Amino acid sequence: MLAALAVIGVARFLQQRQDFENATARSYQVEIVARNRLAEGENPAAARTTISSQQSQRQFLRNDIDDETRDTALLVGAGLIAGLTGAALLFSGLIASMRRPLEDLVEASGRLASGDLETRVKVGGLSETAKLGAAFNEMAEELQRRAGERDQLDRMKDEFVLTASHELRSPLTSVQGFAELLMLEREMLTPKQGETLEVILDNTRHLVRLINDLLDLARSDAGRLTIRPVPTEVAGLVEEAARTMRAQVDARGQSLSLEVEPGLPEVEADPDRIRQVLVNLLTNANEYCQERASIRVTARRAGADVEIEVIDDGPGIPTEQLEHIFERFTRGNAGETQRVGGTGLGLAISTSLIELHGGTIEAESTLGVGSTFRFRLPGTARDRVGLS
Amino acid sequence: MARILVGDDSETILLLLRTRLEMEGHEVETAGDGQEVIDAVHRAIAPPDLLLLDAMMPRKSGIDALRELRGGGIEVPVLIVSAHTGAGDENGERAELGIAGYVAKPIDFEDLFAKIAELTG
Repeated sequence: MLAALAVIGVARFLQQRQDFENATARSYQVEIVARNRLAEGENPAAARTTISSQQSQRQFLRNDIDDETRDTALLVGAGLIAGLTGAALLFSGLIASMRRPLEDLVEASGRLASGDLETRVKVGGLSETAKLGAAFNEMAEELQRRAGERDQLDRMKDEFVLTASHELRSPLTSVQGFAELLMLEREMLTPKQGETLEVILDNTRHLVRLINDLLDLARSDAGRLTIRPVPTEVAGLVEEAARTMRAQVDARGQSLSLEVEPGLPEVEADPDRIRQVLVNLLTNANEYCQERASIRVTARRAGADVEIEVIDDGPGIPTEQLEHIFERFTRGNAGETQRVGGTGLGLAISTSLIELHGGTIEAESTLGVGSTFRFRLPGTARDRVGLS
Repeated sequence: MARILVGDDSETILLLLRTRLEMEGHEVETAGDGQEVIDAVHRAIAPPDLLLLDAMMPRKSGIDALRELRGGGIEVPVLIVSAHTGAGDENGERAELGIAGYVAKPIDFEDLFAKIAELTG
């Protein structure tokens, strides 16, 4: 409103300025006429009076216009300030009404991104921010719905794998059990029957391994592969794993030697799971190496950790295969020996298990020289330091 | 040798267990579900030396049967046969029910015989 007043003021001022200039010009003309008369000596007294009155009138007009100019300048200045203040107030009002909802949105996006799918924002403020808020809520709603569906599918898959594994295991128990029963009376079978029985047993064991591995993998994917770590002696684990593998190693005329450093610290480990890893690594060495290969298991102290290696002098692994060896369903080339019965899951599961223990696993290999699989387990001492 | 009561809902597995255990010289009685296990324990003049129970059986599971027997003051050692790997004790019942050990399916008989010898020797 003040701005409008200023505009009116300026217009009036311009009009007054025009009037002032006109009046001044007229006054000069009157004075010039009077000076001419004075110069001609015609009624000099009257001419002098006219000149001085014109001069004082112009002075009066000048004073008047100066006052007007000052007032107008003041008015314009005030109008300008008032206008700017008004605009600033208007903007800050606009910004404030957008800022709050936007800040809420930013915060809510953060919560949503970190997995809180229940997050919603309050819809309000300007129509733009209200629309943005409503769109955000819709998106969150949809995300929550999909996550719910996915969780349900995951649960169904897990349940299916568990049930399938359970249901398959019972008949397999019978097949394997009765085949073993027959094997106990092998001397009463013909050689042909004995060989047939061995094929049945080999394949049954392979099927059992596959089911176990698939179950572990499904658990690992669901984040439900769990370990129960207790302080454990490595020497005992290595010996047990070697005992489990003895028959298969002997069957191929391979040698299996253990080199466990005396006085090793205990490790914080789930004995069943570490034995499983060792058996996986030894099974690979047993199956991928030639007959009469030599396989060694070593265990040594590495700082606060214990480092365990399974070393063989087998054919070795090509570099391009070695890079992918810990991925699931990666299987080595069985070469001329067609007896490799792995599932392609053993190393993937071993990796998950070692990582659950807070350890690391790696492989080295040289073609024609052999392969080394190495994993580290944290010692119990380090855990105590970590806790304190 | 030991007197063992085996509970499993599969006829073939009962036959397998009975055959292998009898070959080892044990005396075997069988039951088809948890209720039959309880009945067999109460029917016997003296309780068996060992219970070998399948964790999952229709009508009454091995775990439920064991809970009832423990509630009735039956103190015999128990091995639970489970079709799940990484066997057992998912619900912390091992300590609660005094379970001596778990046997995974398919059964490693050498391991089972060793456990039985340890518990009844």
